[in-house]
Parts: sequence; C-alpha cells; structure tokens
Amino acid sequence: MRSTVDKLRAILRRDLLTAIRHRSGFAMTLIGVFMELAAFYFLSRAIGPGFRPGGVEYFPFLLVGTGVYTFFVMSAQAFLSSVQEAQQTGTMEVLMTTSTEPAELVVLSSISAFAGNLVSLGVYLLAGVAVFRASIHVDVLSCFVVLILSIVIALALGIVVATMQITLQKGSAVLWLLSSGLWFLSGAMFPSESLPRPLELLAHLVPLTYAIEGMRMALLQGRSVVAMAPTLAILAAFGAVLLPLAMGGLSLSLRRARRRGTLSFY
Amino acid sequence: MDRVVFESVRKVFRHHPALFNWMGRERGGETVALENLSFSAPAGQVLVLLGPNGSGKTTALKLISTILLPDAGTVWVDGCDTVKHARRVRQQVGIAVATERSFFPRLSARENLDFFAALDEVPPRDRRARIDSVLRDTGLEEQADTLVMKFSSGMYQRLGIARALVKRPGVLLLDEPTRSLDAGTTAHFWTTVRALAGQPTTILLATHNFAEAATVGDRLLLLRRGRLLADRPVRAGESAEALRSFYFHMTGEVDEAPGAIRRVETLP
Repeated sequence: MRSTVDKLRAILRRDLLTAIRHRSGFAMTLIGVFMELAAFYFLSRAIGPGFRPGGVEYFPFLLVGTGVYTFFVMSAQAFLSSVQEAQQTGTMEVLMTTSTEPAELVVLSSISAFAGNLVSLGVYLLAGVAVFRASIHVDVLSCFVVLILSIVIALALGIVVATMQITLQKGSAVLWLLSSGLWFLSGAMFPSESLPRPLELLAHLVPLTYAIEGMRMALLQGRSVVAMAPTLAILAAFGAVLLPLAMGGLSLSLRRARRRGTLSFY
Repeated sequence: MDRVVFESVRKVFRHHPALFNWMGRERGGETVALENLSFSAPAGQVLVLLGPNGSGKTTALKLISTILLPDAGTVWVDGCDTVKHARRVRQQVGIAVATERSFFPRLSARENLDFFAALDEVPPRDRRARIDSVLRDTGLEEQADTLVMKFSSGMYQRLGIARALVKRPGVLLLDEPTRSLDAGTTAHFWTTVRALAGQPTTILLATHNFAEAATVGDRLLLLRRGRLLADRPVRAGESAEALRSFYFHMTGEVDEAPGAIRRVETLP
C-alpha cells in the first residue's frame, strides 16, 4: 500500500512538473475554454429562450452536456497521448521493465489524468456560472456520485483507446470515431429524443448519455440520489461491465505485443 | 547458482503488413531472432554478448527483462520463469537500453531517476542517497538538475545506465552502453561494471567493442543469426585484437579494416 501511494506521488509529480513547465499551453487552454463558452452562450441566445430541453434553459443544458463530453474525450485523449508519447520517446519498454505491474501503472496514471481533467471541468462549469450567468440548482451528493461513476466509465473508455493504440497503432483513429459518435448520440448538444427512433434507441446504449443526463439532473435540477436512482443504477452497471472488460483487453494486448515485439511500434 | 538460464529458447518475429496497407509493398514474413539458444550465467559474472547486427543480442536482453516473451523454451532469472513470474523477474533486473531518449524531457535527470526509482519500489528513505551515488558513478552530478531535453547523446546514455543501477539489480543488462561515451567516462564505466560484478551482480553486456569485451568480460557468447557460435571464457590479459581475430574467424566475416584502423578500434 505504501509503495502504491509512493508511485502515485511520483506520477502526479511528473505530470504536474511537466504541465507547469508548459505554461503557454496552460494559458491557451484557458483562453480556449472562454471562447468555447462564449460561442455556446451566443448560440443559446440566438436560438431564444423558448427552447428549454428537459425543462432547463439551453445555455446551462449546453454547459453541462459539453463539459461532461469534453471530460470523457479529454480523459481518453490523455490515455492515448501517454501511450503514444511513451512509444515515441522509448519510455514504453522501460516502463514495462519496472517492478510495477502494467495494470497498476495504467490505473495510477489515470488518476493523474483525471485529476487534471477534473480541474478543467471545474473551471469550465465555474466560468459558465460566474461569467455567463448559467442558472444552476446543485445537489452536491448526487453530483459526486455521478462523477465517480462517470470516472469509472471514462477510465474504461481510456483503456480501450490505449489498447487500440498498442494493438493496431491506430488509437487516434479509434478516438476520433468514438468522440464523433458520442458527440452525435450522447445528447451533449441537443436532447437525444430529437433523434430518429432507431438512433434514439442506439443513444440509450451509450454510457455517456446517462452520465450527461445524470449530471444535468444533479447540477441543474438539484435531484437527490434517490430521485435519480435508475440513472445511477444504469451508470453503475455500465462501469461494472466495461471496466473489467477493458482491463482484460489491455492485459491481452500487452501480452500479444510482448510476444510479437511490437510494444514500441506506433 | 546460475542467475540467468536460457533453455532452448526460440524467438521469431512475424511481420504482418500494416492494417489498410492498400498502397504499400510491405509483405508478411518472419525473422528467426533466436534459435534453440541455451546458456547460463552465474552470480558475479560479466557475460559479453558479441555478434553482428541482427544476431539476437538485444533480443536476448529483452527476453530477460520481460519486454519480450519467448516463442519456445524458457528463460529463468533467479529461478523465476520470465513468463509466469514476470513481476518477480522485473524486481531483479535492471536494463540500460540502446534507445537514448527514453526519458521525460521536461524533468531533470534527478527527477527522472526519482520517478523510475519509485516505480521500481526503491524505498523513499534510500532513494536520495542512491540517486546521488549513481549520478556520481555516471559523471552526471553537475547536470543532476538540468532538464534532460537539453542533454547530449552521451549524457542520455549515462542517464540510462544510472537508471538501471539505481534499483541495485541482481541482474544488469547493458545494450551497447558506451556507444556514445567519451574515453574518460567509458573507462570509469568499466571500473563501475567490474565493481558491480564483485558485489555480486550478474551482468550481460551486448557490445560491438572488442576492447570493452576484453576489459570487463569474464566470458563471451558469440551469436550469429540467432544461433550460438561460441561460449568461452575471456582469458586474463586477452587482448582486444585477439578477440577481434576470434570474432572474424568464427563468424566467417571478412575483416576489411586496415591494421591502423583495427588498432584504433580496439582502443577504449
């Protein structure tokens, strides 16, 4: 346990120092957040106050939908980047020779990636509320539960993308396909009920749909954990199935890469 | 007791054309990297792997470190099968790979070593002293707090050796460790290797440098196209020139270098 905490500290320190030493990138990300929010704000104004999906104003609807969507995609991107960078710089093979199990390394690295993306999500939501006056009605406990369950699913998604990178060396293409599909189906920009019936049914098979829906209930409507139990149960079920499958897939792909000698191929 | 044992190990790399390779000319095929390789290395021995490019030296080191898995046969490290007990093997093995830039560029040398030491479960209370010690041994004390993105090739290589040493491995794998080092650092490195062998660490050293093989080696394995051509001791006082002659005699390759160049190449 002590060594796990020590490894986590080392990984967090590495990522923090790298981020701090990329100050210009950090500043540009902040500017990008405000530009994106401004675009959504004026889009909702152009559409007008009559459009209230799910009974909430359109700007807060967009704020939560795009915020959670971005959290998912950026988390998966963080996994992909860390694998690609490790392959390109040659650290991949060296990391695989340390005393730390690959699965442990992935999970610990993900904590660091999620910490960074959680901060970004917090800044995004706070800026939406403070600068663009999005109206919210928060249930903190529900928010916390949705967030934890969402992280489990995002972890699984990130591992799948990392696995694709190790197996096919095509993680970017898979992430692009996943992110555009999720953007379209998950209800981030518009309610999934607006889709044609077959696509709406497909949207119900996408875990991000429930993560966004749950976060809207918790952040915008102040629903309690009990009131949103069905959504939470679905999120938990997705996490319980997807995470072990993703970990198993990663383990198999690493073994296959070791067998074929393709660990550092990209 | 033998620390590293290869039992009839075979390793084949199968080449699969890239996915969606509609326009390319790449075809499938296979390369036999190691064929029926058997040898053992006891504690405290410096075992030199010599052989032309593509002879299987690096593959053998990667099999010991668990980066690769064998297709047939077994590799044992301290009695542990590298496939079944990979984690226990990795706890024993340190590797300095030929890839120079296998570090995090925006971390300093010390920060990189601290990171890898944590993943190698070096106790935090010992870490600082060990890192200072390996930085001293590899001549990187003055660059300890420099970001490694500013390092030269030789400094990267020294840092790679430092990383392999910081966990104090029972088995140390060195792949062309002095390729980019200057003469002074190379000589100091050879002294360090000999001192480690006395501790006793088992060292497997893949090299093309006959002077290095003659100076630090206790025994040499000569490989060609994945097969073992020779397994013999390096005799006390044996010259680099003698090893060079042995190499060309055994591999059947033609030594085209003029005498003057040969003499220079056998110097550190």
